[in-house]
Amino acid sequence: MKLLNRRELAIAGARQAQRRPARRRRPQSHQTTSRNRRELTTALVFMAPFLLLYTVFTIWPVFQAMWVSLSKWSLTGSQGFVGLANYAKALDDKYFWAALGNTVKFTIITVPTMMVVAVLVALLANRASRVRAFARSAFYIPSVLTVSVISYISRFMASPHTGFINHFLHDIGLLPADVEPQWLLGPRLAWVTLAGTTVWWTIGFAMLLYLAALQEIPDDVYEAASIDGASKGRQLFSITLPLMSRTHWLVFLLQVIACFKVFGQVQLITGGGPAGSTTSLVLYIYQTGFGKDNLGYASAMSFALFLILLVFSLLQLRVQTRSEK
Amino acid sequence: MKKRLTPGGVLLTFATVVLAVTFLVPVLWSLAVSLHHEGQTMSNVFDWFLPPYTLENYPTVLLRSGVWVWFVNSLIIAIVSTALTLLVTPMAAYAVARIKFKGATFFYIFMILGLMVPGEATITSLFVTANWMHLINTYAGLILPGIAASMNFIIITAFIKQLPNELTEAATVDGAGHWRIYWSLVLPLSKTILLTVGILTFTGSWNNYLWPLLATMTADMFTLPIGIPTFASTYTVDYVLPMTANMVASLPMIVLFVIFQRYIVKGVSLTGIKG
Repeated sequence: MKLLNRRELAIAGARQAQRRPARRRRPQSHQTTSRNRRELTTALVFMAPFLLLYTVFTIWPVFQAMWVSLSKWSLTGSQGFVGLANYAKALDDKYFWAALGNTVKFTIITVPTMMVVAVLVALLANRASRVRAFARSAFYIPSVLTVSVISYISRFMASPHTGFINHFLHDIGLLPADVEPQWLLGPRLAWVTLAGTTVWWTIGFAMLLYLAALQEIPDDVYEAASIDGASKGRQLFSITLPLMSRTHWLVFLLQVIACFKVFGQVQLITGGGPAGSTTSLVLYIYQTGFGKDNLGYASAMSFALFLILLVFSLLQLRVQTRSEK
Repeated sequence: MKKRLTPGGVLLTFATVVLAVTFLVPVLWSLAVSLHHEGQTMSNVFDWFLPPYTLENYPTVLLRSGVWVWFVNSLIIAIVSTALTLLVTPMAAYAVARIKFKGATFFYIFMILGLMVPGEATITSLFVTANWMHLINTYAGLILPGIAASMNFIIITAFIKQLPNELTEAATVDGAGHWRIYWSLVLPLSKTILLTVGILTFTGSWNNYLWPLLATMTADMFTLPIGIPTFASTYTVDYVLPMTANMVASLPMIVLFVIFQRYIVKGVSLTGIKG
């Protein structure tokens, strides 16, 4: 699961496509019913394979999830209807709340860092025209790697005594030779490792969003500002950053959504530890459903995630719609 | 952008290059590790960028383990997923965008509702559904759930909608049916957008983690993202072979990115950035 995945980005696109003005239709009056029927049949034939797969694997699971969440359900099947018991259990489960809290924490650490770094990287990549293509590729390439790879690299680089990071910090004198940070053994540093890896891995998407926004700011705005004597720094804070406010919101909401779904890097880098301190909501759902074979309870918790994500998705649609006006 | 060389400009360009290289260090470093002999010293970070180099880790990794099987699985799944996506999605998009039938709007909205369904939140029930259909631990189970994606549908529909109406109208006058128009006019005109969607689908499938983690049970069905962590954990002492396995999984994607960069960037902007 990527921080900025295509599906979330696409919600915006959906809105855009939806708002496209409807194509003029010919008056229906002189079209025969048989022609209408023929067109409908053709359309259904064209749509059938997509509709079938989509209904079975995207829409149906939502309804299935409701049923599963109301049942005691294991990998072998349903063991009976239990009503809202799974939901009640979640409200009472301190591990559920801890996982939710951890997820919020991850979001609070990662999103602002991501936004600041993304803006910085985009400004640099946009500015330095000679090296723009190289910079854009370099910042994006981590995003094309799979989570297993980045997690292994991260674990390996962060490992004490043998890893790259401690060696490097020793070499440049930032760390005394006898200090050997354990990046994954303490909750605080584990969070730093997770957030750092995530930002590194997923910065590319946010950078591309910011690059697109930067390129839409007309040059003459800056020219006018320089004539008025505004310094470069002033231009950055009074023109560039405010003019990208929509992108800030978009990146913010997309990152929040992505952070709430964080799973792969947590499972692979810290395994949720130390002592559960980095267990994210999706990881807890996964552990409950597949580790403890309690799919019913896992589905109930999934609905909590679903509702949280829905709120942010709707906010995101709002940002998208407002900007088109 | 002015191209005049100023000290500040040079400094910023330099900073950009340094930062960009820093971002690449983990990748370059993994590559460097995979090109060195097992057990070579690494007391100094920079040793890793010095010779002697070797290529022998690659055949070792591929032959000695399941990596080859996982590689082939990943490849089969990514290729078939991409092919099916490109077969199924443009047809549905064409129907909604170009065939005038009652209910087109209904179907459009129905088919984009999937955007509001986060895969992570229905993962348990998708497993239940797939299990009930006996798709767990099969290629079909790994491929089919990802084919009909709302996002791809939206991108292609929007593209087909903005193709000039005159083209298809002329063809209709000439007596061409929908299939003919779709196959000989719309598909060829949509090549670029299909390439973009295809590349995004391929990379998405290659890197997919959560669903293959649940849907594969035996090592012979693993894809690379699922197999690599199990491979790495069996080589805890030495990291050269796991790093090589990482590179086996990554190099195809990096090469693909370098070749198709502009389509990937376009894909990202198509999926909602424009405005």
